[in-house]
Amino acid sequence: MREVFHLSGLVQRYNGLTVLRVDELKIARAAILGLVGPNGSGKSSLLRILALIEPPAEGKVVFDGRPADFDSARDRRRVSLLLQDPYLLQRKVFDNVAYGPQVRGEKERLKERVAGALELVGLEPARFAHRSWRELSGGEAQRVALAARLVLRPEVLLLDEPTASVDAASAVLIKEAALAAVRGWGTTLVIASHDLAWLEEVADETIHLFEGRPVPGGLNNLLLGPWETDEKGRTGLRLADGQVILVPGQRGRAEPAVVDPARISVSLERPAAEPGLNLLQGLVTRLGLSLEGGRVTVTVSVGGLKLTAALDRRQVEALGLLPGREVWLGFAWADMTWLGQEPSPDQGGEVEVEKRAIRP
Amino acid sequence: MGGSLDYIWDGLITAVGLLVRLDPETFSAVAATVKVSSMSMGLSLIIGLPLGFALAQTRFPGRRAARTTVDTLLSLPTVVIGLLAYTFISRRGPLGGLELLFTLQGVALAQTFLALPIVISLTAAAVEGQDRRLRQTLLTLGASARQTARSTLWEARFAVLAAALAAYGRVVSEVGISMMVGGNIKWHTRTITTAIALETGKGEFGMGIALGVVLMIWAGILNLLLAWLKKRSEP
Repeated sequence: MREVFHLSGLVQRYNGLTVLRVDELKIARAAILGLVGPNGSGKSSLLRILALIEPPAEGKVVFDGRPADFDSARDRRRVSLLLQDPYLLQRKVFDNVAYGPQVRGEKERLKERVAGALELVGLEPARFAHRSWRELSGGEAQRVALAARLVLRPEVLLLDEPTASVDAASAVLIKEAALAAVRGWGTTLVIASHDLAWLEEVADETIHLFEGRPVPGGLNNLLLGPWETDEKGRTGLRLADGQVILVPGQRGRAEPAVVDPARISVSLERPAAEPGLNLLQGLVTRLGLSLEGGRVTVTVSVGGLKLTAALDRRQVEALGLLPGREVWLGFAWADMTWLGQEPSPDQGGEVEVEKRAIRP
Repeated sequence: MGGSLDYIWDGLITAVGLLVRLDPETFSAVAATVKVSSMSMGLSLIIGLPLGFALAQTRFPGRRAARTTVDTLLSLPTVVIGLLAYTFISRRGPLGGLELLFTLQGVALAQTFLALPIVISLTAAAVEGQDRRLRQTLLTLGASARQTARSTLWEARFAVLAAALAAYGRVVSEVGISMMVGGNIKWHTRTITTAIALETGKGEFGMGIALGVVLMIWAGILNLLLAWLKKRSEP
């Protein structure tokens, strides 16, 4: 099926500062896409572009097979964004939910449609429709805002941290309502969230953003330094238990790097040392199931650092992995992605990875 | 000393008499003021609200200069507006053919230039003061550019109304434009303020005080309304 969005060469800038750079992104119709990343990683900027309310500084946005129209309401009316901190119009709940249909000139069965949308988010229409926007709790306001989007049955529903600042009960209702839209109307759902467990459960694909760029393999294994260089010119990150992750070349003290979970090997015995290979000993703390590719995520605590490896189920069974088990993790320099703006030149060479390789 | 107090006292008694028995001349001036201020306010709102919105929401070259110009025009003296309007609509002026001089329409047109900067500037401030998320919300709910403008003004309605009232207060109380452009013609273009100026000049304090009382009550009501609206517009 044709994808609903195809972005290419996308760059977004505010006041000359680049906040988003996505080379290519395709979103399939009726898919659930998760967006993960720390604050300021570009999630909201990407969502505003997908909502067609803010054109990118550079790049192409193809919506449903045609270049997206950012100037008129035509394409925008097929997509809707729930803001992270939603804004309610200074009107009654009914008028907030009815606003979208009204600007489209849809007056038929408006009362029933509004009531239906309110029921979807767990708000009793008889009790809430005539309340003022002032008389709602945070969770209720968030649900009214979601109802104002659901009443439109959008082809694409974009949710920016929909459960970040609401109570647990509201969060459950919001999640259920969003999934009902996907099941009932084939809505494409894009969710930016810190709720990794939820995304792991529902998302067909999750994109991890860091400083405006998608990070292949995700941010599970984000290493933030401090990278220190010893007198022999070796650069590494010293962990709390004395083990050291060595890296090639000179690195900025806080230059972030990630290790692709799919590229981390797990073994019970210490593997043979190789040039450019980091070997670390740790304790399995958690096993999880990732919907993407049906792999098992093995989280290992290494000197206070949590590293995650994505393994095949059979591998996990063969190794008899369980929380509490001591294991060896291995990953090569080539499997590390540096996320800093200017990569430093690789220096290569043989690396010896062992405890206390770098002495102060 | 005693004589001067009597003088004011007599004026007050005359004023009460004029107001109580609905003196035609006094109420002719009140009616002229209501007519002329309604016209000028209607016109300045029709022109000023969209311009104020545009000034706040659109980005165009020279926007800052436009904003500064509007803010400068806020303090334009009424006699200067009166002078300019007079030269434009007098028989020899470019708009002389419209025969607006010494008519209420002419006064209303000139007063529009007095009210317009206030409406534009305060509307722009009201729109700029709106929550940043409002525009994104309206757009993502499917509003067109025109619907976004209308809904934004509606969300800012209390602040915009306060802007309109501020402009109204200025229009109702000005004397320079009404005197120069209207000519203070009895039963015709004589407004509350020009009548007060004239009657005071003649030494007829009664009608002056009566009209002054009407104007002050009016201004008081407007200010109460303004304070109430300001309170309503607070989040």
